[in-house]
Amino acid sequence: MYDLLTNLLGNQIVAYVIAASLPLIFVLTFVLFAVLAERKVSAHMQDRLGPMRVGWHGIIQTLADMLKLLQKEDIVPEGADRPLFNLAPLLTFLGTYAAFAAIPFAGIYVGSSTAIGIYYITAVSGLVVAGLLLAGWASDNKYSLYGAMRTAAQIVSYEIPTAIAILTMVMVSGTLSLMKISDMQTAHFWNWWILGGPETGIVKFLLIPFMIITFLIYYISSLAEVNRTPFDLPEAESELVSGYHTEYSGMKFAFFFLAEYANMFAVSAIAVTLFLGGFHSPIGYLGHSLGIDWLIPVEQFFWFAFKGTALVFVQMWLRWTLPRVRVDQLMVICWKYLIPYAVVNLIIVGIITLL
Amino acid sequence: MKKYLKNTWDALWTIFIGMKVTWKHLFIPSVTIQYPDEHRPIPDRARNRLYVNIDDCIGCMQCQRACPVDCIDIKTVKALPTDELGLTSKGTKKALWVTQFNIDFAKCMYCQLCVFPCPTECITMTKVFEFSEYEREKLLYNFSNLTLSEVKEKEENYAKFMEKKAAEKAAAAKAKAAAEAKAKQESEKKDNDNKPSSEEKDS
Amino acid sequence: MELYDIIFYLIALTVVVSAAIVVGSKNIVRAAYSLLFTFLGVAGIYILLGADFIGVTQLMVYVGGILILLLFGIMLTNKVYSVDIRRENSYIIPSIVIVGIFAAFLIFVMTETNWVTADPTFPNTTVFELGKTLLVHYSIIFEILAIVLLIALIGAATLARNDNKER
Repeated sequence: MYDLLTNLLGNQIVAYVIAASLPLIFVLTFVLFAVLAERKVSAHMQDRLGPMRVGWHGIIQTLADMLKLLQKEDIVPEGADRPLFNLAPLLTFLGTYAAFAAIPFAGIYVGSSTAIGIYYITAVSGLVVAGLLLAGWASDNKYSLYGAMRTAAQIVSYEIPTAIAILTMVMVSGTLSLMKISDMQTAHFWNWWILGGPETGIVKFLLIPFMIITFLIYYISSLAEVNRTPFDLPEAESELVSGYHTEYSGMKFAFFFLAEYANMFAVSAIAVTLFLGGFHSPIGYLGHSLGIDWLIPVEQFFWFAFKGTALVFVQMWLRWTLPRVRVDQLMVICWKYLIPYAVVNLIIVGIITLL
Repeated sequence: MKKYLKNTWDALWTIFIGMKVTWKHLFIPSVTIQYPDEHRPIPDRARNRLYVNIDDCIGCMQCQRACPVDCIDIKTVKALPTDELGLTSKGTKKALWVTQFNIDFAKCMYCQLCVFPCPTECITMTKVFEFSEYEREKLLYNFSNLTLSEVKEKEENYAKFMEKKAAEKAAAAKAKAAAEAKAKQESEKKDNDNKPSSEEKDS
Repeated sequence: MELYDIIFYLIALTVVVSAAIVVGSKNIVRAAYSLLFTFLGVAGIYILLGADFIGVTQLMVYVGGILILLLFGIMLTNKVYSVDIRRENSYIIPSIVIVGIFAAFLIFVMTETNWVTADPTFPNTTVFELGKTLLVHYSIIFEILAIVLLIALIGAATLARNDNKER
């Protein structure tokens, strides 16, 4: 990708900058529509209509909200630790955005096709915890601090089942590179890892149920990692008045919002890459059959965005289906259910791959 | 162990059931309406903003007296005998210029008590309920159809008429007094003549 | 290699400045967050040197684990709402002397040693070799380390456990 851009632009630094900001364009566009989609989905699931007034069926409502947020006064509480308070939203978004560097959007569109992609993503998601903890502490507000503590405890706990689920996938596919994992699942949807991957014979059929379990474990714990309902305790509006971002206003609040929605897509993108064939089309490429080469990356990008958005939609769907769990239930789900299942699953999958 | 597995299964299964329910609701047409664009039908006897058909008002002030919060403020001027006020739709003759018919909707509590006493049924409840304002003064509605100059004219006319009438009355009174004085003189004369009769009366 | 140098100096500057803040800051939470940038910078240097796995492990262990633990410790043990989360810089002169001697020693070693220059081509990835080394050549040590960590974990859980039977 860098070679392409360097050839195109003639300057290495410009190529790097462009390559680094391409995911940002995607993230901003995605967030713009995801916020609207969240409101629309929630409205229709509750037999309402949702925003209807700005544009056709409220299609540019988010843009209006963004303009409103831009105009808002930037309030810093008196007791807040000003530099840290200003740093927190940036740090949170940094952690989220850093993950996008290794996500392969298409065959030619990946920030860094590093050989340790999935490990890198698991590592940088730790920055988000640091950012949220900082936001809660710097706000000088007890609810914010509670929210931040809950976030940290929750994310640190749920990183374990996530990591074990990812480890299972790494073990089956034999690589840490997301690009290679994507390329293994090319051609057709029965090559997706959730359906046994490119394995053949009895191994494939033995793998399918355990891959589905792995996918469920990953998906549930990723929900907790991005603080979505039913695991949205850190920002429980009814208990903690929105948790760690209670004191933030204007653009800083918008940054948290951006980070939250970008994170939603990031975890969905990882699930897509690991289990659902990555950017590869499930039914073959139009570009191949028509003989148009430039169509293939476009199709790949479309399939990746489509699958990722579908999983984000499921997150929203779950949000309007399930109530919030209690803190003790949260920990029970993690330590007594997800982790044992993940470990047993890891061992069984290991035995199957030895066959 | 059996319970553990059953818990897991129940958790997943109930989540799927719940998701089925929400999925169905995703396609149910909305039960809410887009309020400022659409309205719910208002019940027939709903009590909303008052309306005064000032052409029918005879200025009897029954409504003002009925109002428990004194939000109606009526001022009237008597019409001159020469003024042609016309009839109400019920055929009652109007005898007063209604120079002011103020209803303060900031005070009004929509009890409908003013509607019943009206003899000509000119004060009624409408179906309008959205009339909020940014300033309280704007909630003071004047239903009188006379302009300020007209009001002034009517008042002056009436004052002139009254002056004229007073003058006439004074003149009449003077005339009467003069007549009476004359009559008195005459009667005194008569008294002297008819003294015995008065004595008769006394006895 | 110009861009490489610029990036290296930027990262090195980040590391040095944030480390100075860690030492100099009176506010312990600010010091902890400066430590975050130090860790990030060190991870960046590892990655620049071609040791991507080590770099990301640095992130994973120090930022994702130790720093969070540290912050948890600070926030749970101190009175959060008072200004008590400050600490004094004491023994400034002795520490400067000791650090100066140590730095002089290090610079002496660095300048006097005959450094063997490594092959300047970076390996494409270190994961495969690293995995092979850890799980084939040093598998026993690897497993024993894992068991030691597990023992530490179980021990901590046992110590922290509130056993009602003994009371």
